Amino acid sequence: MAPTIRVRRFRPAVLAAPVVAAALLLTGCSGTGTNAAGDTSGDQLLTIPREDFATFTRNFNPFAPSQVVAPLTTQAIYEAMLVYNPANGKATPWLATSWETSADGRTVTFTLRDGVKWSDGKPLTAEDVAYTFALQKKLLGGYEYLKSAKAEGADKVVFSLTKPYSPGLFELGKQVIVPRHVWEKVKDPAKDTNPNPVGTGPYTKVANFQSQSYELRRNPEYWQPKKQQIAGIRVLGFSGNDSANLAFVNGEADWTQSFIPDVQKSFVDKDPKHNAYWYPRTGSMVEWTMNTTKAPFDDPKVRKALSQAVDRDSVTEVGMNGYTEPADCTGLSGGYDAWRDAALAASCTWTKHDAVAAGKALDEAGYPKGSDGRRKLKSGKPFTFDISVGSASSDWLSVANIIKQNLAEVGVTAHVKSPDWAAVVSGYETGDYDTGIVWSDNGATPFQFYRTTMGTESVKPVGTKTVSNYHRFGDKKADRLLNEFAAAPDEAGQKAKVDALQKLFAEDAPVVPLFPGPEWGAYTDIRFTGWPTADNPYATLTNRGDTTVLVLTSLKPVKNRQH
Amino acid sequence: MRYILRNLGFYLLAFWASITLNFMLPRFMPGDPVSRMFARSQSQMQPEQIDQLRRLFGLDHRPMWQQYLDYVKDVCTGHMGISISRFPTPVSEVIASQIGWTLLLGGTALVIAVVIGNLLGILAAWRRGGVLDSVFPPLLVFAGSFPYFWLAMGALYLFGMTLGWFPMRHAFDVGFSPDLSWAFLSNAASHLVLPALTIVLVSIGGWMLGMRNTMIATVAEDYITMAEAKGLSPSRIMFRYAARNAMLPSVTNFGMALGFVVGGALLTEVVFAYPGVGFQLLAAVQGLDYPLMQGIFLTITAAVLVANFLVDLVHVRLDPRVRVR
Repeated sequence: MAPTIRVRRFRPAVLAAPVVAAALLLTGCSGTGTNAAGDTSGDQLLTIPREDFATFTRNFNPFAPSQVVAPLTTQAIYEAMLVYNPANGKATPWLATSWETSADGRTVTFTLRDGVKWSDGKPLTAEDVAYTFALQKKLLGGYEYLKSAKAEGADKVVFSLTKPYSPGLFELGKQVIVPRHVWEKVKDPAKDTNPNPVGTGPYTKVANFQSQSYELRRNPEYWQPKKQQIAGIRVLGFSGNDSANLAFVNGEADWTQSFIPDVQKSFVDKDPKHNAYWYPRTGSMVEWTMNTTKAPFDDPKVRKALSQAVDRDSVTEVGMNGYTEPADCTGLSGGYDAWRDAALAASCTWTKHDAVAAGKALDEAGYPKGSDGRRKLKSGKPFTFDISVGSASSDWLSVANIIKQNLAEVGVTAHVKSPDWAAVVSGYETGDYDTGIVWSDNGATPFQFYRTTMGTESVKPVGTKTVSNYHRFGDKKADRLLNEFAAAPDEAGQKAKVDALQKLFAEDAPVVPLFPGPEWGAYTDIRFTGWPTADNPYATLTNRGDTTVLVLTSLKPVKNRQH
Repeated sequence: MRYILRNLGFYLLAFWASITLNFMLPRFMPGDPVSRMFARSQSQMQPEQIDQLRRLFGLDHRPMWQQYLDYVKDVCTGHMGISISRFPTPVSEVIASQIGWTLLLGGTALVIAVVIGNLLGILAAWRRGGVLDSVFPPLLVFAGSFPYFWLAMGALYLFGMTLGWFPMRHAFDVGFSPDLSWAFLSNAASHLVLPALTIVLVSIGGWMLGMRNTMIATVAEDYITMAEAKGLSPSRIMFRYAARNAMLPSVTNFGMALGFVVGGALLTEVVFAYPGVGFQLLAAVQGLDYPLMQGIFLTITAAVLVANFLVDLVHVRLDPRVRVR
């Protein structure tokens, strides 16, 4: 597994949404007296607000956890060998021009691009890549399938794997590369703050660093000078969505990724010509997870019946503001459309709302309604349980409440519990919960998703902490398919295994998929053009992900626009 | 002197109790910093890294009492450790980078609120039933009872966005760096106006009412009548005789408020994106950053205790009765 895998994440993002909504709706687009708005000299800086950093620390160490390191370190300063874009399922060669997996699947060879230089003028070599992986393993671990990374000549890096492991290709390719000649002189790389980074990225020069803002300017040695069309990037710090959205809606920032309530009305309608948002459904699947170590959730029939009781249309329309769409029984998010078995998705019933059928299924499974119209468990106790959601996620709370109402229709009583996320997650981690709403794991291929929803290897006993597979479900059949997937030499072979995994997921219902997480992203093209859109999905609109560098190297500044 | 020494002993005891609580409370919270960080990570982390990070951050599984002894030792020697949520920055550096703004904002707002509030209170009580007395208290209490968030948002919208009189966020504009030049100071001052104004607005009513109420009682005292009979000027009686005696509770409150200034103004910091300790503390609690949490709590505790101790000293000076006891 690689360091750039999206893991379960919890968004403290939707805090105080109603207040913001009110404030945003009041907002005019007068663009009053602000320094940045409307600057179209051609040298304007791309302004990115970060709602999750109140203040910045001058730490550009790419090995530091993402909540610690200054934003854009692994997007604008350091680059990877390839960039995988979930919006169109394509991998763009970046620092490497090509890669090859050996027939036995145990060796991956990357060929590096010619003429790439570090921002200090020294050339990028295969030694740098090999050194990066050694350092990453030493500092942070991971890549447990990687035996060694060796430089072969100046431009080839050979990765030897301990077993055939095809998902490793993208994981290795996504690792950002650091210069050996700089890092081998650093005494304690884990604790270094790397205040003046040397990278291969388009914007490496740190300027005007203050606690609430800083700038990244052009790398003079960049390998695609024609693509450094913007003069630089300015990052602004905000203590939450409210103030960040205010600046964005007021036209003082260009590109945000924070959650904007009612984005059409509060942002796009202010200036429909220039303002736009795009929420591709490429985020990881949001699922209603059930603790399968507890009765009755150990019974797949129950999980399916409860799933069938859920009205996903109102979950996505009402609970999620229509920002996403209902999931199907493959469990796959929108990022895996190419892998999806459309026939299977269309044929199965347990993810389609049907209260009558759900009631019937519960009857058959042995949970009949009592005289009061409520169902009883096999133990004779009433069929009630909790749905735990962190109090900060107001959208997921309304999702949970819709599920609760849906369940009441089939005679099942659910209680929505919403303490702080910390308490909720702690329950998930130790297995001390009934049901909850969580993100699933996400990677370049569906492998990661199925591994942590059905693989037995990710199952930990109740009481032992785990960070994935909170539902604690494993199926030996899935293990076999996953291993075969990992060993499959080509995409056709992988596809056959994913098809089988989808069938198995539809059969087992290890978790109840609700909807794919939308990847928030909104922009204004008053000052910069060339944004990714649904029609031109060359990247997603994330400004903190792998594809961010694709956007940074595609944007063009607007020059001398007449107001 | 004995009074001061006795108080000093009490303060030491209070300090010990609060640092002990400070140690215990974060550890009662569920989870640990690394799983928090993991749960919130947008990408970039894998389960295998967790143990490595735990080691890196120096989270230990030693017995509680051992951790406690080390903690007490660290507190006494001033070592606050390394922040986890801002790894590898030392806690003292994180606090130092924020506390200046917090003291500036909180101190300015507090001093303005106390001075104006007390003056208004004195005048209102002096001319009881006058315009000042009948109009201001209900008005200020009304303003004070607004939800702060709402008030701040309103001020931000009106003065920041619609009228554009004051900047909407941050401690100073992009492009400045902190120095002692006139340009920077005036810029920072303009950024201070809205946050400070909203804090003053919600807190001034309390100061005014408190002062007014004690002042009314004082004005009815015999020595005031005596002073009037002696023919002293009204302003002298008002300030030197009545207000000085009515001031004591206000001084106590001021001391306490001064101590709490160090804790930061969380909501103000959130609305105006103003840097400060309040938001830092919230982030530390959410991320279970024990060292930073402890550091900030310790700073607050120490500030409150020191402020109270100073108030005690001032009391000795202001109130002769304390000296006699």
